[in-house]
Amino acid sequence: MGGYGDVQCIDENGIRLDGRKIDEVRPMSIEVGVVPVADGSARMTWGLNDVIAAVYGPMEAHPRKIQRQDRAVLDVRYNMAPFSTTDRIRPGFNRRSREISKVTAEALESVVLTELYPRSKIRVEIEIICAEAGTRCAGITAASVALAHAGIPMTDLVVSVASGKVHDIVVCDLNKEEDNYGEADLPMGILPNSGELVFLQMDGDLSPDQFQEAWDYNMEAAKVVHKHMVEALKRGEA
Amino acid sequence: MAIPLVPKLLRAHLAELAAEDMRHDGRGRFESRDVELEIDCLTRADGSARVRMGDTIVFAGVKFQIMKPYPDRPNQGGLMCSAEVRPVAGRQWEPGPPSPQSIELGRVVDRGIRESGCINTEDLCIIPGEKAWQVILDLFAVSDDGNLFDAFALAAIAALKSATVPAERFEAGEDMPLEVSKTPIMCSYHKVGGRFVYDADRREELGGDERIHITLGDDDHVHSLQKGLKGIFTAAEFAEIMNEARSRCAELRDLVDKAIEGE
Repeated sequence: MGGYGDVQCIDENGIRLDGRKIDEVRPMSIEVGVVPVADGSARMTWGLNDVIAAVYGPMEAHPRKIQRQDRAVLDVRYNMAPFSTTDRIRPGFNRRSREISKVTAEALESVVLTELYPRSKIRVEIEIICAEAGTRCAGITAASVALAHAGIPMTDLVVSVASGKVHDIVVCDLNKEEDNYGEADLPMGILPNSGELVFLQMDGDLSPDQFQEAWDYNMEAAKVVHKHMVEALKRGEA
Repeated sequence: MAIPLVPKLLRAHLAELAAEDMRHDGRGRFESRDVELEIDCLTRADGSARVRMGDTIVFAGVKFQIMKPYPDRPNQGGLMCSAEVRPVAGRQWEPGPPSPQSIELGRVVDRGIRESGCINTEDLCIIPGEKAWQVILDLFAVSDDGNLFDAFALAAIAALKSATVPAERFEAGEDMPLEVSKTPIMCSYHKVGGRFVYDADRREELGGDERIHITLGDDDHVHSLQKGLKGIFTAAEFAEIMNEARSRCAELRDLVDKAIEGE
């Protein structure tokens, strides 16, 4: 959330730098089975984001101290490939990826029926191979498709989208410039069938009205994304 | 890597097949899996390639940085190659710092490219003693069903050949293609059931013995060799696979050239 500098993210007709209207979602595609050796996998492109999620398990949880007697543990890793951003990222975990891994795990644990697999582990690997903005949202969304593709029982898919604010205007599904120069970012993880939430973060500055507007944009966007998820899973079945 | 399950049974099975001159997936001894090569597939990378060999899938991405030349080579830039096999690529790959296996992968691919001289590091110098380009090649495995070495090496050279030096982004002149004068290619052979086979898959790696990696440049010059894992091989065995490598490297070199020309 910085100053704009010379960047004008929305023109006088309400058209954004990538040609979208303020309530429009970036183009996306989802494909399952992209990691043939995994138990379930999905690749999602969303704007310029390109994300691969793979699921392994349920499998034996080791070391034993991580085992839970009454449920499976989700071992989630979010990582950005070194070539995924303009400036190369040094390989290895950092504080940002650890936090995202943690909140992603907690979002997914809210829908996976972990009590069906006591003392086991389900590994969820999220790899960002090309980043624009909203990689955590794309990661959570792709991971929930990969879990479904692996046949892991869940109460619902998780759709994650982010809306925010630029030039004091609330916009749906932030792109890179809007994320860099905008004034607010509100990512949410939504259960499409009930409208309940399993993931919520926010930073920036939103008035109560703007907050409600961003919230509503996310709820509408989630329906669009959900359709892509279901279609990808159906294509994978065929 | 976790200790593989029941390798004894697998070894016995592969040995039985080998006695009949067969492989478990029906391929001939020196037959490869289907190879797919795609270039310029990663938007944020300055050069990129995706390789698929059967169920093995890898990416290579090239990025550039400005470096200060080393004092003993003031008019040269640098090349760095690193391989990462993250746990996404298979259940046997565990999180944590790079394993010896993935370090070996990166180094063997690096040697083949470096020693072929396909990149002239003097071309990478911007201001002698002060500024030069560092080429960073990152190899990334998506799905490991065996023979990551050849997949990485093929993706690596294709990514380099498709790379653009992003000079404008660094305010160091105009963007230009990276000059890559040769096409080093790696071919790997695994001892399975007592004889060498080409392009082993994961099961053959698990139930096999030593492996040999051969990188040949243009005109069949040898640029890197590596023998990995426990095992003993004869001069005659090596001569046979070296001979096979020459014709296979030529085929793969054509594949790279066609992908680059078709860009």
